[in-house]
Amino acid sequence: MQQATIKDLKAKRRALWRQRFMENWRVFMHNPLGRIGISLLIMFGLMAVCSYIPPMIDPMYHPMTGVDPKVVSSVGPSWQHWLGTDFMGRDIFSQLLAGARVAFLVGVSAAFMSVVLGTAVGMTAGYMGRFTDTALMRLADMIMVLPTLLVVLMLAALFGQLSIWMIVLMIALFRWPGVSRIIRAQTLSLKQRPFIDAARVSGASHLRIIFRHIMPNVLPLAFLYMTFRVTSAIVIEAGLAFLGFGDPGTVSWGMMLQWVWKTGHMFQAPYWLLPPGICISLITLSFYMLGRAMDEVLDPRLRDETQAG
Amino acid sequence: MRKYVLKRLAQVMVILFCILTILFVLFRLAPGDPVTRMVDPEMTPEESQHLIEQLGLDKPIWTQYLIYLKNCSTGQFGYSIHYGEPVAKVIWEKLPNTILLFTTAVLLSAMVGISWGKIAAWRKGKATDLVLTIAALVTHTLFLPWLALLLVWIFAYQLDWFPITGMVSDEVWLDPTAGFFTKAADVLYHMVLPLTTLFLIHFGSYLLVMRSSMLDTLKEDYIVLARAKGLKERDIRNKHAAPNAWLPVVTSVGLSLAFSINGGALTETVFSWPGIGRELVFAVSQNDYPLAQACFMLISTVVLMSNVVVDVLYAYLDPRIRY
Repeated sequence: MQQATIKDLKAKRRALWRQRFMENWRVFMHNPLGRIGISLLIMFGLMAVCSYIPPMIDPMYHPMTGVDPKVVSSVGPSWQHWLGTDFMGRDIFSQLLAGARVAFLVGVSAAFMSVVLGTAVGMTAGYMGRFTDTALMRLADMIMVLPTLLVVLMLAALFGQLSIWMIVLMIALFRWPGVSRIIRAQTLSLKQRPFIDAARVSGASHLRIIFRHIMPNVLPLAFLYMTFRVTSAIVIEAGLAFLGFGDPGTVSWGMMLQWVWKTGHMFQAPYWLLPPGICISLITLSFYMLGRAMDEVLDPRLRDETQAG
Repeated sequence: MRKYVLKRLAQVMVILFCILTILFVLFRLAPGDPVTRMVDPEMTPEESQHLIEQLGLDKPIWTQYLIYLKNCSTGQFGYSIHYGEPVAKVIWEKLPNTILLFTTAVLLSAMVGISWGKIAAWRKGKATDLVLTIAALVTHTLFLPWLALLLVWIFAYQLDWFPITGMVSDEVWLDPTAGFFTKAADVLYHMVLPLTTLFLIHFGSYLLVMRSSMLDTLKEDYIVLARAKGLKERDIRNKHAAPNAWLPVVTSVGLSLAFSINGGALTETVFSWPGIGRELVFAVSQNDYPLAQACFMLISTVVLMSNVVVDVLYAYLDPRIRY
């Protein structure tokens, strides 16, 4: 009997979740920004997936090592090389595809790490209060005002060439304060709600309250901030690569721009200068639009405004 | 108020002290011998011995730390390996150039962002609003170095309107007859493209913040009251709504300062603008650690101080806030 009720409850809960998800999805797709953002991201995702194909057909298309033996310098678009080749005869189109892979890798992993860190710190600071709160928030304030790109540059000065995972880690370590501030504010208001008191009275430990009762309520917000962090991570990595401090073993869009610039091709080879920049700008824009549309899903106040006006 | 400013300045000091300490620790942890990284290999033995003593590199680590703190607080960051000159001298020459470009860019984009954001909110849903919002969104997300290269390619190379790089033209500055205004005009002429780059990247975020804050303000009761009194629409917009909508923009200027500094360094590098950001990039690529460290400290100090200025400005603009 009791088993049946629990099963019933679980089914109901699932149905409720599905209903809420469909509702949110509808709001999200109703927003033109959300539609454009998601379609662009699907396109970039396809690019990242397709980046594995050309080198498999012919090693000449390998973005890093593949060199067309017939081409010795940068030439314009042709049937063989859709976007032309770079200064040593490597195919620009396959580099562009590989760049999408790196952008997703850097953006998503750095954003994920910084959001996990920021959420953990924010919840701890908000829930514990007192000294912990002050100490953590002072730390956040301190890190927040530092220009991340220059900090990573400084670390490159100290430790030499940084690998792509080191760069991701550094971006994550310096981009969490913004998230933690918002999660802290949210936690502070949640802490006053009766269900937290109820949990405490029924004997839940601090850790259980934080993870079972507070975390589910702040996660949507954290997820929203992740989309904004993705853009900043991609831009920082691209900037670093552009300045010549990227991982030499990967082809990112920033690296491609650096090659155009450093080899002095920026005036002769628009077919090489334009694509990587357009890609970085568009992927930033699409994540930004995605974030804006999600903002609307999470904040009904914004939703009413757009529908009324 | 004075107490608040003093408190904030003390905080800045503590943060700078932390950064210095972290840099010191990281520098000792980093691979390589500190002496070879701090001392120019081309110096004579006497000179390098003198420098090692001055930096305290021959003493135990705690003494080194104290000497390091003392040197940093008095502005002695050692000798630049690349220039062979005291680092302080190198960066003091570069600082005004950065401040000139950067302050102009931030002020210009904030002013334009605020006034256009005001208009966009006022004409919400109309064509003006749509065009401004889309322009802001798109320019705001452009990749800065790429935009800079693009502007150079179009306006300096194809159209040949502006110089490709640099801050001054030699023929003007070496000409003894050239007056102050000729020189100033020359700098301004070189500044157009870097300034445009920074402006295009930054005005969008201010515009969007101003627009949404203005939309919130327009829902307030005192706007209804102003309408009921029969005031002119322009006065309602400029005198009643806008001043209250500024405040979030001021906050966002402070918060986005770190982001702007990144952009400033990239812009300086692309345009070979002789500033601190470019010097930092250059120093890192040349393995000139003393110079890189000093540039980084200087930039951090400037960022922290500007944040204090922004906070004080906020209190000045919003009389409700009393520290």
